[in-house]
Amino acid sequence: MSDRKDRYIALFQGAMLILNCVAVTSICAFIYVTTRRILAYYDARRFLNGVVTIPNSPRDNLVVCMVLMGILVLTFTVRQFIKDLQNRFAVVTLILDMAVCSAVIFHLDFNYNGLILLVFANVISYVKDGKAKLFFVALAIAGYLVADYELLSIYMPLYNIDDYIRYYASGTQQYLFSVYNIMVSLNIILFIVYCVYVINAQRGTIEEVNHLYRELQTANEQLKEYADMTERMAQTRERNRLAREIHDTLGHTLTGIATGLDACLALIEVSPEQTKKQLLLLSKVSREGILDIRRSVNELRPDALERLSLEVAIRKMVTDMSQVSDVSIYFETDEKHLKFDEDEENAIYRVIQESITNAVRHGKAEKIWITLKRVDGEILLVIKDNGTGAKKMESGFGTRHIRERIEMLKGTVDFDGQHGFTVTAHIPIRWGETYD
Amino acid sequence: MKKKYGWAAAAAILVLGAAVLAAGFCRKKETVLEFGMFTGSNWDVANANSFVIIDKAIARFEQEHPGVRIHYYSGVMKEDYSEWLSRKLLAGKEPDVFMVLGTDFNQFSALGVMKDLDSRIQEDPDFEPDRYFSSAFRTGQYGGAQYALPYEVVPTLMFVNKTLLTKEGIEMPDQDWTWEELYDICRKVTKDTDGDGILDQFGIYNFDWMDAVCSNGGEVFQADGSSCYMADDRIVESVKYIRQLNALNQGQKVVQEDFNGGSVAFMPLTFAEYRTYKTYPYKIRRYANFQWDCITMPAGSQGENLSQVDTLLMGISANTRKEELAWEFLKLLTYDESVQTEIFQYSQGASVLKAVTQSREMENIVQEDMEEGDTVISGNLLGRVIEEGYIKPQFRRYEQALALADSEINLILENDKSVDSSLKILQRTINSYLQQ
Repeated sequence: MSDRKDRYIALFQGAMLILNCVAVTSICAFIYVTTRRILAYYDARRFLNGVVTIPNSPRDNLVVCMVLMGILVLTFTVRQFIKDLQNRFAVVTLILDMAVCSAVIFHLDFNYNGLILLVFANVISYVKDGKAKLFFVALAIAGYLVADYELLSIYMPLYNIDDYIRYYASGTQQYLFSVYNIMVSLNIILFIVYCVYVINAQRGTIEEVNHLYRELQTANEQLKEYADMTERMAQTRERNRLAREIHDTLGHTLTGIATGLDACLALIEVSPEQTKKQLLLLSKVSREGILDIRRSVNELRPDALERLSLEVAIRKMVTDMSQVSDVSIYFETDEKHLKFDEDEENAIYRVIQESITNAVRHGKAEKIWITLKRVDGEILLVIKDNGTGAKKMESGFGTRHIRERIEMLKGTVDFDGQHGFTVTAHIPIRWGETYD
Repeated sequence: MKKKYGWAAAAAILVLGAAVLAAGFCRKKETVLEFGMFTGSNWDVANANSFVIIDKAIARFEQEHPGVRIHYYSGVMKEDYSEWLSRKLLAGKEPDVFMVLGTDFNQFSALGVMKDLDSRIQEDPDFEPDRYFSSAFRTGQYGGAQYALPYEVVPTLMFVNKTLLTKEGIEMPDQDWTWEELYDICRKVTKDTDGDGILDQFGIYNFDWMDAVCSNGGEVFQADGSSCYMADDRIVESVKYIRQLNALNQGQKVVQEDFNGGSVAFMPLTFAEYRTYKTYPYKIRRYANFQWDCITMPAGSQGENLSQVDTLLMGISANTRKEELAWEFLKLLTYDESVQTEIFQYSQGASVLKAVTQSREMENIVQEDMEEGDTVISGNLLGRVIEEGYIKPQFRRYEQALALADSEINLILENDKSVDSSLKILQRTINSYLQQ
């Protein structure tokens, strides 16, 4: 809540406090003055005939009530000056207020219980702690219900301000009754207006929070887009590197071989011996080129794949992911020897990795099943999860990379967003073909 | 630094403690117990010694409790006392211990300005309520709680003009005489002695329906004041009996002057009046020209020789701060045998303690004031009349309800209405008033 709002709430509370001070003081003063009047007219015995009971001492009552109201004003002022109110301190002053209000109400023999509303008003704004607030509210409601003159006067003799008002002539009585009722009503009205204000202010706060939450979400989404973009840029960089690598090694080697072959063509007639030497050299160069390419490709392979076999690498990844993301991942294959060409292994590994990432990130999946098997000379890779799936397929969910990788191997891939998310890929494998 | 503060705090606490102790001592030295009483007799007879008993009791109390002073306001007349006490109560400055008039007791108990003595009575091992006349003790009860203790008690007796009876040749009635005997005597003595055609000698004066109800075992109200028994057989009989007696006077009104002049045979009078007018100097001012004595009331067909018993009560303020002392002083006045014996010496009522009223000492004291020929009412008879006497029920609207009944019954008697049906109507009227 802002400072401006705080000031209005304090203003309301101050107004209620002043009204209550006026009410309590005027009730006590009225009883005191009326008593003086009765004494002056020697009407005491007749007056006693018509009353339920009388206060112990009207003058003491007036003094005590004024002192007690003074304490309320004091605690109120203290609360205004100490800005950074600790919850505990607020509770302590409120408990003090409650005790003081009870004492005043008791001294007034429950003729005026509007003070409970004052306590209630303070509780609503000061106590932020839910439990303490609930406790105070319950206490205040119970107090307001119980501290009712009509109810309590059944059980114990309580003096009634009406008896004192009735001492006056009927014209004055009406005037006094209306003043009394106006004070009571005004207090209730002020309390209701205050409550409405506080509720509105709190609703404002809630809306502010909602607004901030929405902003946060937008920022989050933007951040995600940035992340995607970064990924794409990394990919582009990688491709550029790859292109450079191919250009630098394969291009260089092939250029060397082509030039060497041209030389051989020129030499073969003149000197077969020389040509043979040249061809040997070319053979050596092309082998070196292969080595170079292998080295380049090796640099592109994932760490795990570089060191381990495909199956072990996949199992390691599955275990790692399960541990990291609290998802149960089941990997299953019927192939004894998962040994394919590097680019194929790479693709399979990457597709599985990407799919798991998607399932966890977008699908919020808890279980993922991965199946890898051989069907009609092709590899069938199915990755299925129990996440939220996707009603409509959107690109950018990481599916594009998968599709690219599979298509590079001339395979096909299908995505199904119903009942979780399922990736089904058919990859034609070059069985038995190797570089060496 | 911390140590220094510790020392300062300890010193402050010491000084404060010493101040509190000193204040306590000072207050103890000046303890003043306020006592509220009126001047003169509660029984509307002249009393020159109204302060003697109280002064002596105060002197004794102050001696037994050093540092305690008892202060009372002198000069409040009985007729002003109710207003005086009401004023004190309203202003919250009531005395710690005070006399309560019979007409105020209900009201003040209901107001809660008098201390409930039940717990005191139970906790005090020296206090046995059985030592009081139970009728007198019960007078101090309201709503089932003991709010006051009796101080002095006065039964109503029947005044007999012995000279008139002797002149008419009628014997003095004995202690267990009946309504029939009273009616017979009244019929005999009611006559026109000087032959002017107007009755000038009468049977009875001032004997009202309540006197008849008391001696006929009747009860006017239910103890809690929720309804009345106006149509009860005993009350109907009583009212009819009064009508019979009135009829003897042939419509002529008997007045006090007739009685003072010696031309009326009977008149109810209180024990206090009996004692006052039997002793010097009052005996020569009133009723000087004839011999007279007192006997019990005549018994109705369903009742005994009983009459109303009037009690002067004393109570403790509900707001007293010296409850212990107040209780001790109240006990001294109402429960101490030597103080109670002085009632026979310096006041006109009887002691509320059985042992005192029924003692030989009491008979001796009463005898001292009387002439040789006068018979003193015996302690046992007096005790029985008090113990079994009729006490008014204690409820808030008693005085008003009784006044209503009294005026209606007087109307019935004056206007010669049918007693049975009129009393039934009256019962309904009073019940609806009581149940308002």
